[in-house]
Amino acid sequence: MAKAPLHARDKLAFLLALVPYLMDHGHVSVADAAKHFGVDDEQIRESVRLIAVSGVPGETSSYQHEDLFDIDWDLFEDSDEIVITHLVAIDDSPRFSAREAAALIAGLQYLSSLPEQADRDVLGSLMSKLAAGSSGRPSEVAVGSSEVDSTLARIRDSVAAGHRIEFDYLNSRGGAEKRTVDPLRIQSLDQDWYLRGWDHVRQAVRTFRLDRMSGLVATQEPISHRAGEIAVPDSLFESSDTDLTVVVELPEDAIGMIADYVTTDPPVSGRNGRCRVTLHVAHHHGLKRLIAGLSGVVTVIGPDTARSSVADWAQAALDRYAGEIDAQ
Amino acid sequence: MPEPTEAPAGRVAVEERLFSLVLALLATEQGLTKSEILSTVQGYRQRYSMSGPNASLERQFERDKDDIRELGIPLETVESAGDPGNNQLTRYRIPKGEYDLPKEITFSPAEIAMLSLAATVWRQGSLSDESHRAILKLRSLGIESDEPVIGYAPRVRIRESSFEPLRQALDHQSVVEFPYLKPGESRARTRTVAPLALVQHHGRWHLSAHDLTVDAGRTFLLSRIVGPVVPVKRTWARPDGGGHAERSLTDLDTLWASQVAVIRVEPGTDASTRLAKRASAESGATLELHYTDVDVLADELATFGPEVVVEFPRRLIDAVIARHVKTVRAHRGGSNSPDSRATRG
Repeated sequence: MAKAPLHARDKLAFLLALVPYLMDHGHVSVADAAKHFGVDDEQIRESVRLIAVSGVPGETSSYQHEDLFDIDWDLFEDSDEIVITHLVAIDDSPRFSAREAAALIAGLQYLSSLPEQADRDVLGSLMSKLAAGSSGRPSEVAVGSSEVDSTLARIRDSVAAGHRIEFDYLNSRGGAEKRTVDPLRIQSLDQDWYLRGWDHVRQAVRTFRLDRMSGLVATQEPISHRAGEIAVPDSLFESSDTDLTVVVELPEDAIGMIADYVTTDPPVSGRNGRCRVTLHVAHHHGLKRLIAGLSGVVTVIGPDTARSSVADWAQAALDRYAGEIDAQ
Repeated sequence: MPEPTEAPAGRVAVEERLFSLVLALLATEQGLTKSEILSTVQGYRQRYSMSGPNASLERQFERDKDDIRELGIPLETVESAGDPGNNQLTRYRIPKGEYDLPKEITFSPAEIAMLSLAATVWRQGSLSDESHRAILKLRSLGIESDEPVIGYAPRVRIRESSFEPLRQALDHQSVVEFPYLKPGESRARTRTVAPLALVQHHGRWHLSAHDLTVDAGRTFLLSRIVGPVVPVKRTWARPDGGGHAERSLTDLDTLWASQVAVIRVEPGTDASTRLAKRASAESGATLELHYTDVDVLADELATFGPEVVVEFPRRLIDAVIARHVKTVRAHRGGSNSPDSRATRG
């Protein structure tokens, strides 16, 4: 599997994208090109140097001067500015690959459930453009549309306006509380939507599941904590010192199902492809729900209090079916 | 006879060799033969021996072709008309018309901003790499983007390790085998299928495929593929035309709409707040939920423990009860785990 390192392939993609951009702009500074592509200045300089000495073998098969790209070297070396003075072989942007087009199309399909994407025609025409600009039929990967909680649009408006919101929130321990929050960012993971915001009672950044909110009130009160000013961790699932540490056993190939909770301790392998891993969970209330939904896959090994909280939760559920259990 | 030398001065960076190869193949109308390429193109010519053999250089060229095609660049092979099959005479080229993004395809600044957001949906894996390369190509058009869409961080996660090999199989139109564990069955069965589409429906990744064993279309949940996905040397005459992904989503939507569960939720609980938002009908504490897979729904309802009681259908009631029975058995008493030898050191 001696493939060229991904690095080189990506550099090639970059070179092929940079040439038409430079050509269209005629005269552009290294800094502006770097900003446009979101890369550092040195990557632009390095690429320009490579482009400037590249070309085609030509009639003579020996890369004569007229077969090579050329740039205004003085301008480049003295003023950090780029002008291509001679072009070879390429002058247009490349098409998308079938896989690239498919990746963006599937991303757009996912975004189509966002409130401001109500105009499906706009997205539809954008998707057709991607398909038409692709070198092959986009591969068959798709994301189905889904209904999104109606609170999303209202919270979205509050984020945009910079207004504080209030809502009732049922925490995962089962307690209901009134929360006052400066909404900073709406985040999603597959079907689940979350709000990251500054919680005025806790005086800290907190994450809220949209489907646990009720009684949302969008106030006109300006927020006092802004997204640029406070750090919102990228990960939705942050562990804290007060977390419970629990050891569970599961098939090795099922670790992905609980990846959000697994600690950095390496799994300990056992027989039959099973292994033990250490989890961090916030409290027993979260643990029992997690494990009850992975019945037959994940078993808590210890501590005993964790085992019994899971068993009690499932037993309480069974008790509600009292009349029907005899058959089991 | 002098050996082919590889003086340090002759060493050419990989990206320079690839770039030179693309330029050379774009510049030629009639194509270049392999020996023309190896003897003249920057990065190969330095290592080419006139007296041959150039076996390792030829292998290098094969890999470079794959890399270039991987970027969506239409690298063509043209067989010799007089002597087809003679690969010494095969010519290689990149037709300019198929390389260039068609002129009529343009994007507005608002569209660029939307596409940039779409690219951030994928956080890891090949979909992420590919969206970023697509964005790079968009940027080469030099269109300034509208202000980025702020306040959103939408993400789709692909946790199933079967996703990447299945996507490869889709692209290469290959037939694959994998062990598939259906709920209620004690062991996985090997399935031999021709993948047609990968779709995410209500948060779950599904594979739509033609199952070669039963010679019929089947839908598989990726989370139930419990072992490696392996390509096999079998062929299946794929029907022409696409639209498999769209059809698969429509079928799943139809299934979802046709199946309904009736549950009772305990007021004021997590179950009542969250499930009520998804219910298609609500009457007091009784909710109706649509679903595609009874076991997927049973897993989800089981998390709510005593906060939910299923009333209909019977299969769902049984599935939820069976889960709780299993959970209680596995967690009552001492460490009666199936593998008590895997203890922590």
